Parts: sequence; structure tokens; C-alpha cells
Amino acid sequence: MNQAEVIAKLQTIFDTVFLEPVVLTPEVSAKDVPEWDSLTHISLMVAVEKAFGVRFRVGEVENAKNVGEFADLIIKRKSEA
Amino acid sequence: MDVSELKSLLLNSDPAFWTRLVALTREDERDFAELFLLSSWRKKAHARKLAPAGKTAKPIRLAILGGYSLYPLHELIEHLCEVQGTPVELWQGDFDNYISEIMDEGSELYAFAPQVVLLLPSENRCKYPGQLTDARELQQAEAKATVNSVLDLARRVNEKTGAEILLANFRLPGRYDLGAFRSRSLGSEWTFRKWVNLELGLNAPSYVHICDWEFLANRIGGIQASDARSWFESKQPGSPALLVALAREVTHLIASLKRAPKKVLVLDLDNTLWGGVVADDGLEGIELGDTSPRGEAFKAFQKYIRSLKDRGVLLAVCSKNDHAKAAEPFEKHPDMVLRLDDIVNFKANWEPKSENIRRMAPELNLGLDSFVFVDDNPAEIDIVRQFAPEVTTILLGPDPAEYVAQLQDCRLFEPKNITAEDAERTNQYRSDAQRKALEESVTDMDSYLTSLVMEGVINEFAAVDVPRLSQLINKSNQFNLTTHRRSEAEVLAVMNAPEYIGFSVRLKDRFGDHGLISIIIGQKRGDTMFIDTWLMSCRVLKRQVEEEVLNELARLAKLRGCHRLEGLYLPTAKNEMVRDFYSRMGFNLTAESETQREYQLELATFQPIPTKINIIRRAYEPS
Repeated sequence: MNQAEVIAKLQTIFDTVFLEPVVLTPEVSAKDVPEWDSLTHISLMVAVEKAFGVRFRVGEVENAKNVGEFADLIIKRKSEA
Repeated sequence: MDVSELKSLLLNSDPAFWTRLVALTREDERDFAELFLLSSWRKKAHARKLAPAGKTAKPIRLAILGGYSLYPLHELIEHLCEVQGTPVELWQGDFDNYISEIMDEGSELYAFAPQVVLLLPSENRCKYPGQLTDARELQQAEAKATVNSVLDLARRVNEKTGAEILLANFRLPGRYDLGAFRSRSLGSEWTFRKWVNLELGLNAPSYVHICDWEFLANRIGGIQASDARSWFESKQPGSPALLVALAREVTHLIASLKRAPKKVLVLDLDNTLWGGVVADDGLEGIELGDTSPRGEAFKAFQKYIRSLKDRGVLLAVCSKNDHAKAAEPFEKHPDMVLRLDDIVNFKANWEPKSENIRRMAPELNLGLDSFVFVDDNPAEIDIVRQFAPEVTTILLGPDPAEYVAQLQDCRLFEPKNITAEDAERTNQYRSDAQRKALEESVTDMDSYLTSLVMEGVINEFAAVDVPRLSQLINKSNQFNLTTHRRSEAEVLAVMNAPEYIGFSVRLKDRFGDHGLISIIIGQKRGDTMFIDTWLMSCRVLKRQVEEEVLNELARLAKLRGCHRLEGLYLPTAKNEMVRDFYSRMGFNLTAESETQREYQLELATFQPIPTKINIIRRAYEPS
């Protein structure tokens, strides 16, 4: 999977979790999405881990600055799976 | 989980959205991500002002506080409570701020005026601070102090608000740490928390309801329940699976505050209390008792049911059976755990089960919503769901080994306190039942039969069916007018003899295929068609198969130039139920003796009887 494919799959997860539509690009970050608060973040990560079959290590998701870096992290963890 | 239907219902502003949402949420295997997704759809529906049909209950004010982040646990609780029909208005405390929230009389907690408080004390405050080898008295004193401090918090909230307190106890570690020494000292986390949990439960006052975290974590597994990362990252109480289990438990406890436990367990008999069909297999033929694994399973089920009775649940029987045959195992079978004395209301007849349960309610002076009905047959469960929807139904699974677990997990008979009066109730209700008269009520049988979407296939005897035909001819006892037995060779002989007609009926409905369920053999004697054999499986009694068989018999007889049908009833020990069958079907009694009854039906005036079965093939017709 490349970054674009991962983001496309993330888009479907975001579409189900958020009430307002969000268009994901590599530059989008949590602060651009009003609904993406610490609460929805937890649930979002559970959904992402399940959908991609990955497990992130402690603290590393919050180090990802935007959707692009997050997608790269998914690719990295997926390559180990 | 497929949410596309949910989505389109919401886009069409269809209130059926809510029914679907409830159904999807109720399924036990829903995981955290799925429930969270369903919750977000629920909120979308609210945002679009799509209201559920009917009135919604007034929300209960629920405060959640504790030593954990209460997000997103609160989201699951809010969702499950709304879906269950006990919506909550939530207030959440801050992370690990519960002690000051409770101690400070001016806190937001008290301004909120909760009716129910969920308190999750921090497990970090449930540890023995000293050494594993300290004197046991010291360790016990520390455990007692922990228990007292938690119960004291509960007492303060209750005194100030009058709220019911849902108090979480402490989970046990899931790791091997300390090994065999774990249980040798009260100073280990494992033993210390167990001790605290025991003391909490045994000493909690009546306004405290233990939310048994230890049990829940044990049920899903200690490792599955814990998630160190989610603690370090966001102070979660446990893994997503544990959050789901906790939220479901809290929701259940909230419902239990308002809802009384069920009072009556209505039991089917054949393949529910024993294996097999007593009227066909006989007292000796049913599977019950320690001589076979299946028999043991049924006996264990009866023992569990008996324990429900001992804690105050009333037992009733509702069976499609001849009364005397149904009662026989209760009176005579050595391995029956349940006896007639244990049953407050015993209905074995051929009326729809929904009717029978409806009659029990006034006889026992209880509302139908106090009844739980258990059966292994989906069609019986369905008729009760349709025509006595207030009754809670439990469809037993395919394996009797799991019957006990199914009842143990049904969550319908959880007592708040068991009293001596509860145990005495059985006697009182039994005599009430004997006094009250029965009353007929109005199940719309036609609409039930229509809803089954039945399809019948009628085939003349064919070589491929011979083993099954012979088997049924030799086994069928109850619905069997003549009980003429025939070997496979004899069935073949009938098939090939020109003066005989022979056909079978297969029936399907929306619950599945019943297979070959009725067999008829006719013999042409001049202008009369003599009915040598008419038998049917009792599973499909009163489904109008009888009527369709008569229609077919009349049709075939006319085609062969006959003017009348002649029927014969030969009584046996087991076919009492068809004694008056030919009269019911419109035949005239022409001769009667001790050993037989003869009947006739003139075909000139016979009109086919309309039924709800769609006959897709008839005998001796090209397929």
C-alpha cells in the first residue's frame, strides 16, 4: 500500500466516524477538523488499528503531525506485520 | 457489520432507522469500534432531527466519576442506555478527581443532582503498600481501610443526593508475576484486590450496586481486558473490549434499577427438557439421565431450572402434546429432576403456544411481561413473538450442552435479594392457577399461517423416497389413522400396484425445510377410494397440511372415477389425537365398534378447502 491508498482507506473510516464530511489530504491535521478531539481520536485509532490490522506503539500516533505522516506510520507498522 | 441499510434509512428520514440501530447494537459480538460507529450514527440521526417512533423516556441523570479517563466509556454508556430505552443525561468527572468531587459539597457533581452515580475508584489506590511478608493482620487492616474509604465515598454521595451508586470493584492482574507465591500473601496485588472485592460486595449497603469489574475482566480474560498503552496514552480503564463489557454492564444495572426481574419461566418439553419426542419415543426412549452424554446435558439443564425455582422463579410448561403423555415423564421417569410439584401451570395441548401463555397470565395473576418462554423450535418462538409480544423468548441453540449457559447468560432472573417468601411463591401460585377459569382469546391464526410463507410439494411414491417412506410408516405413532406398518418391499409393491395410489407431502416455511412429513396410501375399491394409510409428523400439526392432503385425495380419487372416500380409524395406545380426525374433516361416521371406526365422504359435493400453503407440485402430474 502506498500513502495515497492508505489515505483513501482512512477516508472511508473518517466518513463513518465524523458527522461533518472531511476531505483527507496529506496536509490535513487534527486541528483542521473541529470534531477531531481527544475523545474521537481514541475511537478513531481503535477503528484504524482494526481496519489495517496494525498496532501502534505507545505515544507514536501523537508524534504524527498530519494525515500524511500518520499514513506513513501505518505503512511502517504494516510492513512489520 | 453492514451499516449501508442504516445509512439509507437515515438519508430517507425513515424512523425504521431506530429499530435497525437497536437491533445492530444488541448483538453481543459488537466490538468497540462498531459500537462507537453506531453511536455516531445515532448522533447523526439526532442532528437531523429524526425521532424514534413512540414516546421517549425521560433521561436519567447519570454522573460518572473515577480514577480513569471517562472518555470514551461515557460514549458507549450513553449509546447503550438510549438504545435500551433508558436514556441518560451525563455528567463526567475529571480524570482521577473523584475524591475531591465527592468531598467538596459545592462541586459540579452536586449541582448536577445525579439520580445514579457510577464510581470507578482508582486501582492505584488498591495496593498493599508494605511488604509481601508483613503480618497478615497488618495486610487485612489495610484491605479493610481501602474498603471503608471506598464505601465511605459511596455513602457520602448517597446521603447528599439520594442517588443509587454503581460501584466498580477492582480487576485482578492478568500476568504471571509472583507465580505460585501470588496466593500465599495478602500483600500481592492479586490477593489484596480479591480480598477487597469480597469485602466490598459483602458489606455494601443496599443503595450500592456492585459493577463487578473483577468478574467482567475474568469473563473476557485478564490479558484481553488490559491495555497498558491506552493507560499511558489516555488513562483508559482497560482495553476496548473491557470498555464494551463495562458499558454493557452499567447499562444493564441502570435498567435493573427500574425493571423487576422476570417471574415465570415457561418451558417447552420435547428436546428442551429431554431429548426426543416422548409421544413417539416413549418414556423409555427419551434421552435423559446419566447413561448418555446428551441425556446428562438435559438433566443438567433441569437441575439449573430447579435452582431457578429455588430462588423464587415460577416454572410453567407449555407443550404441543397430549396432556397425559407430557405429564408421564414428570410422574414416572427416574431421571427427571423436575416433578409436577415444581410446575405451577402445566399446559400440554394442541393450541398455539401464544394462546396458552396468554391464558397463564390471568391464572397466575401476573402480567405477560413477567413471562419468559424457552423452546428449541424457532417456529414456536416466532408465534409467541408475534402473538404475545410482551413475553420474552429464548430460542435454545442446537446443542443441549449449552442450554444451561444460555439461561445463565439471559440476565432475566437476576435477584436483588432472595427472600424466603420468594421461595414460597411457587406453592401459592399453583393453587391460584387451579382456581381460575380458562378463557379463550383471539390469536389470528390465519395471519400467522400466512406469515409462515409455506410451500408444499406433493409427490407420488418414487423409488428414491422408499427408505424414508418406510421409515416414517414404521415410526409414526400419534398422527396415524391406521398404523399400518410396511417394509420397503411392501412400499414398493404399493407403488407398482395399479389399484393403489400413494403420495407424500413435503413442507417448507420461512424457517426452513421440514422435509417429508405426511404419507397417504389409497386403494381403489370399485367407485370408492379407501384410505389405507394417512399419517403425518406432529411437528406440522395445524399447519393445514391435513386440508391439503384431503384436497389431493379427493382430486386423485375423482380422476380415477371414484365417488367417495372411505376412512378408517384404528385406535392404538398412541393415536388418541386423531380419534375424531375424520369427523373434523367433514367425513360421516358410518360404523363404529370397540376396535375401529369407519367414515365416508361423498365427493360430488366436496369443495377443495382453501389453505395458506402454496402447493407447487401435485402427485402424478408431470413436474
